[in-house]
Formats: sequence, C-alpha cells, structure tokens
Amino acid sequence: MGQERFADIAERFANSYAELGAAASPEMVKRWQDELERSFKRMTNLAQMVQHPVEPRTGQTPREEIYRKGKARLYRYASKRTHRTPVLFVPNLGISRPYIFDLLPGGSFIEHMTKEGFDFYLLDWGVFGPEDNELSFEDCVVKILPRAARKVLESSGAESLSVLGYCMGAPLSASFIASHPEVPVKNFINMAGPIDFSKVGLFGLWLDRRFFDVDRFIDTMGSLPADMVKAGFKLLRPTMDLSTNLNLWWNLWNDKYVESFNALNKWANEYVAFPGEFFRQWVRDFYQGNKLHRGELVFGGRPVRLSAIDCPLFVVGAKEDYIAPPACVRALMDATRSQDKEYVELPGGHISLIAGRGASTHCWPKVSGWLASRS
Amino acid sequence: MSEPSAASQQLFDLWKKQLDEGTQNWARLLGQNPTPTPDPFSFWKPAMEHGLQQWARIFATTPVTPDLMSQWKQFLDQSIEAWSKALSQVMSTEAYAQAMGKALEQWTASYAPVKKQTDQGLETALQALNVPTRAQVTSLAKQVMDLEERLDRLDDGIAAILRRLDAGKA
Repeated sequence: MGQERFADIAERFANSYAELGAAASPEMVKRWQDELERSFKRMTNLAQMVQHPVEPRTGQTPREEIYRKGKARLYRYASKRTHRTPVLFVPNLGISRPYIFDLLPGGSFIEHMTKEGFDFYLLDWGVFGPEDNELSFEDCVVKILPRAARKVLESSGAESLSVLGYCMGAPLSASFIASHPEVPVKNFINMAGPIDFSKVGLFGLWLDRRFFDVDRFIDTMGSLPADMVKAGFKLLRPTMDLSTNLNLWWNLWNDKYVESFNALNKWANEYVAFPGEFFRQWVRDFYQGNKLHRGELVFGGRPVRLSAIDCPLFVVGAKEDYIAPPACVRALMDATRSQDKEYVELPGGHISLIAGRGASTHCWPKVSGWLASRS
Repeated sequence: MSEPSAASQQLFDLWKKQLDEGTQNWARLLGQNPTPTPDPFSFWKPAMEHGLQQWARIFATTPVTPDLMSQWKQFLDQSIEAWSKALSQVMSTEAYAQAMGKALEQWTASYAPVKKQTDQGLETALQALNVPTRAQVTSLAKQVMDLEERLDRLDDGIAAILRRLDAGKA
C-alpha cells in the first residue's frame, strides 16, 4: 500500500460506492437521498446566512419599564397573574445582555414564568460607559436593589416578594437580602450563582492575588472593557467556538435550529464591560477574599451575613458549569438559617440552565414548580 | 469488486500514515528549537490515538451508509472534547495563571503611557476645536446621576412618610 497513489485508492473507494449503490436496498437509497437533501439544505442555509443575515427578534414578551436608576432599568412583564407573590429577577451585571432570558418565543425563561402565572420583574443592569466607573458592588446592594424591591412591591400591591438571582445576580441578591432584613423577601432562588469562591474553579485561579493585581489593572484601565471580558470567557473554553460551528454545520439543514443559533450567537458575542469599581470590589472581596462566604462584608454600614437569610431557599447548580461550579453554588445551602431549602444539580453548563432545549424541560419547570407552591 | 470496508480501511490507513508522518515532522521541527519546550503532543496524542483506533474499527466493520457521517461527527466531537480537556489541564496550572498574570501586567505597563498620551492629545484637540471633551461629557453624566440619586432619596422619604400615615390611619 505504501507505493500506491492516494488517487488510486480514492478511485477504488468511489467505485466500491457505485457498485454498492447498484445492489443497495431501497431503504438505503432513501437514506442516501435524505442525506443528500440535508447537505443541499445546509448549503442553501449557509448561503442565506452569509448573503442575507436575519436579525433575530429577541425579547418579545411584552413589558413596561417601572423604574430606572443610572443605567439600570426595572421591567414588569405582562402576565395572567395567578400567584400573589411577585418575582424580582436579578441577573448578572456586566458580561452579557439580559435578553438571553427572553430569547425567542417558545424558548424564553421569562415567557415560561409569565405563562406559569408569576408577576415577573427583571432588573436590567444596563450597558456601562466611563461615567459608571465609580459604580461599586456595594452601590448595587445598598442603592439599587432595595429601591427595585420597593418598586416591585408598590407595583404589584403585594406584601412580600420572591428574589431570583442568576449567576452574579445571586451573590448580589444574597448580599442584599442578608443586609436588609426589613425587606419582606418570601423566597430566594439561587441559579448558578457563586457563593463560596474558594471552589470557583479556573477564574478563581486566574484572578488569584498572587497572579492578578486588580488595583493596578483598574487604576490603569478605568474599567474592564467588553473585549477583555470576551477574551476571558473565550479562554475559559477555548474549543467552544469550534464545537459551536461544528454543531451549526451539522444542524444547518434545520431551519428551527438555525433560528435559535442566530439568536444565541448574537447574544454570545455581545459582551458588556464592567464598571471599574465594581470589578475591583468583585475581584478583591469575592474572588480573592471570599468575604461573602466568610461573613466579612459590610455594605452601607450593615453587616452582610448569609446566616441572616432565613426564607425558603432553592439552589440550582449545573453539573458542567465552569463559571460557577456546583460546589461553590451549593455552599449557600449550609450558609443560611433557612429551614425550607432544596438543592438540585441539573445536567449541562452555566447557560444551559436559562437557554436551550434542555433548560425548558430540565430547569424552568423545577424553578416555577418550587416557587408556585410558595407564592 | 473491492469490499467497501477493505477499501475504506486502506484509505484510512493512508490518512493515518500521513497524519503520523506529519506529526513526526512537526516534532522534529520543534525539536530543533534550542530552548526546551513543553511537549504539547503528550496532552492530545493519547486521546487522538484512541479516537483513531475507534474510527479504524468503525471503518472496518461498518458498511458504507449515511451513518458514517454521524460517526464522523461523533469522532470530531470526541476529538474536540479531548482537546478541551487537555487545554483545561494546562490552563488550570499555577504556571499558566502566573504566565497569564505576567503577560497582562506587561501589557498594562506598556498600555498606561500610551493611553495617557492619547487621552491628553485628544483632550487638547477637542478643546482647540471647542468641542466637549470625553471628560466633560462624563462629568455631566455623573452630575445627572447625582441628581437622580437625590430625587431617589426624596422619593424614599416621601414613601416612608406615606407608609407611616397609612399605618396611623389603620
């Protein structure tokens, strides 16, 4: 075989295909036809994507703005309200835009919650510029979240509210609930929110104070620019783009998949900068100091102790979460005084809790189900 | 007629041979580098070998059907996953974190004077053109935010008074 030319073998391979085709069963012929049709559809959709890219229509659930502070906006979503207790949803600040929670009709966490009868509020932290560089984590906990909670109560006419924190929104919410016992929080849900930063994985190592001088960085840059946020997240999973593009090619024949891909891809490439002081405090007190878990934070003169949280608690971790590994999310279970508490660990990664096919079957019904019986 | 599986096995063997030779060439090329470098192949080669063997088995036993496409996709998925694991192993070492921190520090050190100079130049140019500078716009935005905060405090105060009045009525 060593002396044989590659072209000879390829020709023989092709001939064997042809001869097999002559003797193939009708079922086999049909399968080859289907495969060829898919390949043709792939090429058509690829040409369409390149020549006439369609802007995905994200965020279609009707909503109204009920409060704004700085860049932050509080939205109330239209719902056929069947539960008395409203839900304040606190997502991550910076990194990405919150339309991932209302991606497309039929694939939207917010649509799911409103259909389940929740009076649902989203706190959109906004897109930051140089004028926001002095906004700190403490400002969010002391100045924005208490007012957002009050606006939710006023707008819904309820006496208490549920708080749902996703990703960084969970430590923000936990700090707020722990330091504001006068705010009537009935339930607290932590979805993939890091709590014990000694178990936070790769980001924890990269941001370790031995290797990363956050003061020097922020003093020079003023903020963490969106491009650097993007670089950090791409580094976390360097093969992600390859895998995404391979899956796109494989499913390119499927119009529904392409529609979802367009929406998700738009979101996945739209990064948001961190305000300088926020990033400084986030890295120094949380990643480097683990002060939330240790109970060493003081915001607005109030101690932030997780043990002060005593409302019903639901914690959701994702098995393959590289941003907030399950162990650092689960830590909230042992840190609070809550009697009624439950932890679930679901398949998938950080994003698959709130977007994608798995989320609507594995995650969202669990969240709405747990909350419904307590609202 | 040649058996499809035998033909595909030959094609595969040729491909594998070329890949092995290519790998050896690259290894030789990198070996000429006088500074000792870490062996990147040690991370992915076992996984690649495993994948190739699996693929060889598939080729040898499976007739030529569209299923081969799925198996090829599966092979690529496994290869990417193996790469991802190998890279994660490298990136989760302290040496990598240290190198990344050092690179960032160097970049920050070189970026700081450039940024300062650019900002100053831009500021002077905009002032000369009688156009508001970035610092002035940012300062204005901060003043608006301060005003907003004052309004919020007033709002908080009024809400507290209303709550007390409501409580008094009840």
